[in-house]
Amino acid sequence: MSWSVHLPALMLAVPLFGAFSTPIVALGGRRARMIWSVLISSVLLVLSFCLLQYVATEGTAVYVMGGKAWNLTLPSGMAYPVRIILEVDSFNSFIAVIGCFASLAGVLFGLRFLDRFSGKIWYSALYFLLTAGMLGLILTGDLFNFFVFLEIASVSSFGLIAYWRDRPESIEASFKYMLVSQIAAMMVLLAIGFLYGRYNLLNMAAVGKVIQFGLAEKVALVFMITALAMKCGAFPMHMWMPDAYAEAPASVTVLLVVVSQASLVGLCRIVFSVFGSAIVGDVVPWALITLGMMSMFFGVSMAVVQHEVKRLMGYHSVSQVGYMLMAFGVGLLAMGDPRQMADFGMTSMKGGIFHMVNYVTYKGLLFLVAGALYYVTGTRDLDKMGGLAKRMPFTTFMFVIAAAAISGIPPFNGFVSKLLIYESSFAVHPALSVVALVTSILTLASFVKVFQTAFLGPEKKEFSKVKEVPASMVLGMAVLTVVILGLSLFPTWVVSHLVEPAATALVDKGAYIGAVLGGGI
Amino acid sequence: MFGSLFTGFGYWDFGSWLLFFILAGAMTTWLRSQGRQDYKKGTEQDQIYFSGNELPDSEEITVPASSSYWGFRKALKPYYDKLVAFHSGQTVTYVGWFLVTTALLMVLIIL
Repeated sequence: MSWSVHLPALMLAVPLFGAFSTPIVALGGRRARMIWSVLISSVLLVLSFCLLQYVATEGTAVYVMGGKAWNLTLPSGMAYPVRIILEVDSFNSFIAVIGCFASLAGVLFGLRFLDRFSGKIWYSALYFLLTAGMLGLILTGDLFNFFVFLEIASVSSFGLIAYWRDRPESIEASFKYMLVSQIAAMMVLLAIGFLYGRYNLLNMAAVGKVIQFGLAEKVALVFMITALAMKCGAFPMHMWMPDAYAEAPASVTVLLVVVSQASLVGLCRIVFSVFGSAIVGDVVPWALITLGMMSMFFGVSMAVVQHEVKRLMGYHSVSQVGYMLMAFGVGLLAMGDPRQMADFGMTSMKGGIFHMVNYVTYKGLLFLVAGALYYVTGTRDLDKMGGLAKRMPFTTFMFVIAAAAISGIPPFNGFVSKLLIYESSFAVHPALSVVALVTSILTLASFVKVFQTAFLGPEKKEFSKVKEVPASMVLGMAVLTVVILGLSLFPTWVVSHLVEPAATALVDKGAYIGAVLGGGI
Repeated sequence: MFGSLFTGFGYWDFGSWLLFFILAGAMTTWLRSQGRQDYKKGTEQDQIYFSGNELPDSEEITVPASSSYWGFRKALKPYYDKLVAFHSGQTVTYVGWFLVTTALLMVLIIL
């Protein structure tokens, strides 16, 4: 048996090992902790590439935890799914790679960014715990296991958001996130309870095989949609997001962005792979489209008038998530009709998945740039900044790339995914595209504001001695810049080799179920 | 790898865009080279013209972020008053809207 069959488990074991071993390694000093952190996240990135390659060549990987088979065959001959499984297909393996890139970028950036502060050992432990929670959410094929990873990710997030515990705002942001997260966790648990009570199953594929669209299932679906939409920052449940993203250290915010996308992966799994064609009527897809449109427009409206750089970017996260929700809503709307699916449904799904990936890269980079600005100026208020472009040429260059990408300016990756979303949503109703376009214009407007006020203009006296941020921070930003440039320069290859297989894997419920259950239960 | 990406309604071609960008850049550079070349660095031509007034301290002539798009915000004042008030920062609002959304979706999907 090749070692590569254990890749899904290694993707969780490595960050967990990192989390628990860091406090011990840190006894060897600051340098040992730094090297260990970079080593763990680099190994994780390599493993994620191996997993992507494995799935591309061998097909969907199913890993049974603690056993050889996913089922227990009863004396009656019934094969009953009892084991926890990880199911990795083209969709979640792709997202996992991008998540690992962001995790590495955050680790590199955090090496010097947090140098002036205490509690770095616990920071590193929680960082890897959050990475493990994020990857668990993305890779799991079990409903209860999904809840466990959701909690692991949430609990570690609370600690990391409140990292600057001497700031009352940090404690407040963490508390607010904890409050809404725990309500969401209870909703997810109730939803799982409804499904378990109905089918005695927790395996996502097994539930997907037998699911009907009765009352209990509808209640479970609503709890799942609202809880996970809240976790990824959909309007009007988004209010925790600007608070938490602004108060967390920048190296943590980049990982929080990935965790929000892991929640969206979970939402997609539930909606497409578990429920899928069992969903009757257009209410669910239109609910997603409406949440998406509101998130896009109101998120960007709030962002335009912010003058605190990380809050501004936090509101942009709300609006960017709106694009994805709308794209997946349009995909779900077309799912019942093969012709509509071919006409615009698949394009929308591809746009949604590509935008998820793009969002993680450029939004992660923007938060790191905000962190770099805070590192050199000691403020997050744009009113107090100015003329930093000459002093910070690398940061400025990378900010321009990220800002152009998020604003959908060609030839950057954000433009390509937005183009797919505009054109497919136009087929449903032109108003959807209009809202998306207006959002894009306002996004550009607010990032022009950031560029003009922070980087351009006359130099402020108090920043006359400012220098570019340390090399490790530049390297952290460079990791994401390289990914953005790669996605921008080769969009055709990325879409045909990574995004399209991911979209096909997501909408093909039969293949998802077949990969796990084979002959059935 | 550099081929066209078809969207179902149109396409995106990075190569064509790059070609257009290079051509437009070359044309702009050529047009610029045809202009007057009597600029002398280090003379009064370098001074900023501020409507004939004395130039204030450089920090005073910047537009702070909170004043950017002032007209936009002024024109949409009723909308922004409501939107900003909606973001009260109170935990009751956070939880309340979460529950309202859940209840609304529950009614719509169950009915």
